[in-house]
Amino acid sequence: MASAPKTYQAARATYGASGELVWWVFMRISGLLLVFLVFGHLFFNNIQIDAGTIDFAYVANRLSQPGVKIYDTFLLAFAMLHGINGLRYSIEDHVRKPGRRFWTKVVVFSIAGIVFVLGTMTLWAFSYDEMGAAVRALD
Amino acid sequence: MYRGREGQWAFVLHRLSGVALALFLLLHVIDISLVMFGPEGPFNAFLAFYHQWPFRVGLVLVMAAVVYHAFNGLRIILMDFTEWGVKYQGALWYGALGATTAVGIPVLWKIVPEILGIA
Repeated sequence: MASAPKTYQAARATYGASGELVWWVFMRISGLLLVFLVFGHLFFNNIQIDAGTIDFAYVANRLSQPGVKIYDTFLLAFAMLHGINGLRYSIEDHVRKPGRRFWTKVVVFSIAGIVFVLGTMTLWAFSYDEMGAAVRALD
Repeated sequence: MYRGREGQWAFVLHRLSGVALALFLLLHVIDISLVMFGPEGPFNAFLAFYHQWPFRVGLVLVMAAVVYHAFNGLRIILMDFTEWGVKYQGALWYGALGATTAVGIPVLWKIVPEILGIA
């Protein structure tokens, strides 16, 4: 995949009906969605505020809002799938020895799986309302 | 080294920024997950560490990678799904660089004073 097919027809000709065609389409659709999701994320957390002032209270306040949790869930899912599939393309291009390529993928996919679970837990497993109240009680 | 034209530089920068962003994403999810340890946990100390200026400069580089990767990604979509995209891919790449600069300048204007502590 040193150079990806340049049109949908070329992609179909290259990949046939295999999963690679699905990934080729997915990278373009998720990429378009991520332009908006990631620009929004950067705007909220780096432009609207000074990112150098972010602390527990700020993050807990954001993660106590259902809209932010849903937004971040889409961001996490699309960014992880797009990013890890991109890493897979890079591994297949640059790691040439079959054995080393296999184990590089095993390591990357394992780390990605753990990080995805960690991110989902961060978003949904705790009540930051209660944690925020605990912080305010400290003051 | 093979010295190609615009298309090759577009590809190399897309690949480098993409790998960097994927690795940053993994790190970023792990560091934000420390919020799960609660207000008394290691989260605030960890963030204070990241607020030191070398990391804030690094964050600016991450943002630059995001903006370039986004605009060059849109260029790839135009190349793949329009009749004219491949013909004008060179011009579109300069467009992507121009758009990255156009977004980058006001962002630097906002963030550099924060890093220098003169905001």
